[in-house]
Amino acid sequence: MSLSILKLCRPRFLVPLIGISALTSAGNEIVLAHASNQTFVPLLPTDLYIFAGVAAVALTVILLAFRQIGDLLTVLPVITVMPVANFGVSLVSSLVSFALLALLVYAGATGSQDPLVNPLPLYIWTVLWIGLVTLHAVFGNLWHWFNPWTGVYSVLQRLTNWEPPLKLPEAINYWPAIFGLFAFAIFMLASLAPEDPSNLAIIVAYYWLFHFIAMMIFGREDWLRYGECFSILMRCFAQIAPFGVSQGYLKLGVPGWKLNEFNVRAVMAGVFVIIVFASSSFDGLNETFWWLEILGINPLEFPGRSAIFWQTTAGLLFFNILIFIIFSLCVYAGLHIVGRSDLFKNAFFRLAICVIPIAVAYHFAHFLPTFLVNIQYALAATSDPWANGSDFLSLGTFYVSTGFFNTLESVRWIFLTQTTAIVLGHLFSILSAHNVALETLKNHRDAVISQLPLATFMIAYTFFGLWLLAAPRGA
Amino acid sequence: MSDFLKTKQSRRKVLGTIGTGAISATALTSMPGFIRYGQAQSSEPIKLGFQVHRTGIGAAYGRWYNRTTEAAIKLINDGGGINGRPVQIVAEDDGTDPKRGAEVVEKFATEHNCDLAFGTLFSHVVFGSSPRAGELKMPYFVCSEGHHVASGKLNRYTLQPGVTDVKSQVQAMAPFVASNLGKKVTMIFPDFAFGHDHRDFFSEAIEKQGGEVLAKIAIPPRETSFTRYFPQIPRDTEVLYHVMVGPAVLTFVKELGEFFGPSRPEIFGFIDSLEAVDMASPGLEFLDGTYFWEGHPRYAQENQTEFDKFYRNAVGVDENGASVADSRDVSTYAHMFSCWETLHIIKQAMEAADYKTSADRTKVIEAVEAIKDIPEGNEHPQGAKIFNGKTHQVFGHQYISKVESSKLVLAHTTSIEDTFYPDEVDYTTQSF
Repeated sequence: MSLSILKLCRPRFLVPLIGISALTSAGNEIVLAHASNQTFVPLLPTDLYIFAGVAAVALTVILLAFRQIGDLLTVLPVITVMPVANFGVSLVSSLVSFALLALLVYAGATGSQDPLVNPLPLYIWTVLWIGLVTLHAVFGNLWHWFNPWTGVYSVLQRLTNWEPPLKLPEAINYWPAIFGLFAFAIFMLASLAPEDPSNLAIIVAYYWLFHFIAMMIFGREDWLRYGECFSILMRCFAQIAPFGVSQGYLKLGVPGWKLNEFNVRAVMAGVFVIIVFASSSFDGLNETFWWLEILGINPLEFPGRSAIFWQTTAGLLFFNILIFIIFSLCVYAGLHIVGRSDLFKNAFFRLAICVIPIAVAYHFAHFLPTFLVNIQYALAATSDPWANGSDFLSLGTFYVSTGFFNTLESVRWIFLTQTTAIVLGHLFSILSAHNVALETLKNHRDAVISQLPLATFMIAYTFFGLWLLAAPRGA
Repeated sequence: MSDFLKTKQSRRKVLGTIGTGAISATALTSMPGFIRYGQAQSSEPIKLGFQVHRTGIGAAYGRWYNRTTEAAIKLINDGGGINGRPVQIVAEDDGTDPKRGAEVVEKFATEHNCDLAFGTLFSHVVFGSSPRAGELKMPYFVCSEGHHVASGKLNRYTLQPGVTDVKSQVQAMAPFVASNLGKKVTMIFPDFAFGHDHRDFFSEAIEKQGGEVLAKIAIPPRETSFTRYFPQIPRDTEVLYHVMVGPAVLTFVKELGEFFGPSRPEIFGFIDSLEAVDMASPGLEFLDGTYFWEGHPRYAQENQTEFDKFYRNAVGVDENGASVADSRDVSTYAHMFSCWETLHIIKQAMEAADYKTSADRTKVIEAVEAIKDIPEGNEHPQGAKIFNGKTHQVFGHQYISKVESSKLVLAHTTSIEDTFYPDEVDYTTQSF
């Protein structure tokens, strides 16, 4: 890379030596023409889509100011589908899940080290992280059945009559999960090779073991409720599922109907949700030309993750803190205007929960293109997990395709699906937040006024989210 | 195993058939692919470390490099492997990252006990990995087009026998451009090393042809709209040379079309801009009648060789350069032959060196250095080549295609001699 004068003026630590030596010597003779749908997105009328999306969210905010319309919009209808008994399958399903995880870890350690052939990275990142997490936003807390710990824990407990020796101190609160989530975000976004099968096998095995031991010490319920970040994350995402079990009945409602029943009441749970929210937004921002320019990196000549590990980590931390401060200020300012800043602590948590739909929407929208490609690899890896020519699914000759990134129409559909998700996420968040404000302040006028700062933030965030989808990317 | 994932005749099924059938040992060893395995049944497979861009910015290329490699290895193994030993690909993702690239080379040497490594495309990964390959005394065959090998910046363990370098590609365009399109050239290029290489190599070459570069318009890499740069194009420009890349490349063409309308100068570009992009994409109709360099013609030509046909069929690419499984999935056809051809050079060299163990690695390098003429064939479908043992760089024909009805039609094939330039290094003088 021939660094311009401007770039040379940037702090040198932002451009590690390996990047300079590699890129100034001869440069890339190959430069990517297209990596995903990015080549076609600039040809779409993205400005129009962004305007329409932001307008829809802004209009919702305005409509909520009218009492009758607000009442109509915020009564989220719920229908009871059927009574449900305790199926009692979580023991078996969790044991099956554990067995599958063990098999995947074994495959990761001993199978092909190609991350698009070995089933471990494909299942962890594509099936579980993208697919299963997103499914929670539709079908509710599947993790209750499929987490890989509770089955083994129950069996061990029954065999040995094990009683956890310690009670999780209240002061610990959600901190283990918050640290866990942040460490996960760094691993995913900044580390050099998060998809390396053998490394991932070690990490997954130790992760399982660490949390299993913690469950043995502090008890299953407490640790999964406060300590293990994915159990909490899955529960969060499940809160916006149209399906849900409530008081012994399977119910179906407009996404968000469960948010106000979310039975975890703690400020730190709100912090956790904000981290999910902010991290899911940063994942995407860190690939844009805009961000790479800030780092002093040529967006057409991305030097690789190793060159920006600390910058990505610092950016993630900074973005989380920034969103936390802005969100807190919005909540406080709203309450202050109506003279109820005393309600801040309670309102902060309850309003933080309301941003879950946005986090879900970002998760879905950001990962959709990756999912469309990698689920094909996952299918192939399922058919031939040890890359030895087996074909359990009878796929025959199977070529992975990314052809849907190569026509304007298919890219338009992908983009509009992403846009719709982002807009709906913000709409559900705004409706839920309005409900919380009504419930907290017991007064429509105060509720509307108190929501103005947060609603403004969400309108701005809609713009940010849609801009992010359309922004050119270089990493 | 990854892209070329499943064959209807899986290995297990083959072995099952052999185990239960009444096939005699004689009949078995007379089957294609078993002849030399039969002679060397106790032989361990030859392990080739495949450093592949599975993730990171090179992933779109990596997918096709992987597919080409799988097809080449199947062909080699079906033909008896190397020295009668089956060949096993050990693929590791370098994340298109130089630090990770060095780690991967180390894993090939210390964890996987690979015999050699190959396959790297992006130059910065080559620069990150090559020194480690040299330290580990691991032959490292790159497929990157970079001038880095022939420039002398690397080491004796690094070779590029399967694809020509950008310096020879660019300079070989000048005679055609000057003779057929015009001598007054304006260049538009991204303002970093990739664009600078084109600017420098082509300016020098066109001047030797009696031409001149009227203007050199450098576009900052962050730009996503280009209209404001077009007024800098001098009015007396006869040829516009462009090498824009990145996510805004279709916007570039669209805006160029809007700027010029029906009266445009001749236009010449490098297919790197539109590699893996369908030529029938919106806005590209403006490029009808313009010319592109291609490393290997994407569309099957009227005079398609039997070798190109064979290669397309093996990799699963149709006559338009797209996957046989999805006509929208356009391949990186201009570049990916490099894996195929590199693997056949590796086979040729290992057999010439009578390679047996890793102690014979230096013999393989010497065997490659001894290669001179590389004839066109199924092993080298891109065309005949000449390898320069001193610079560790291969030289070969370049293709210039004209866009006609949204297809690239071959207009000119350069001679190999057009691509020559004076040696800048003699790696054979370096000790192992």
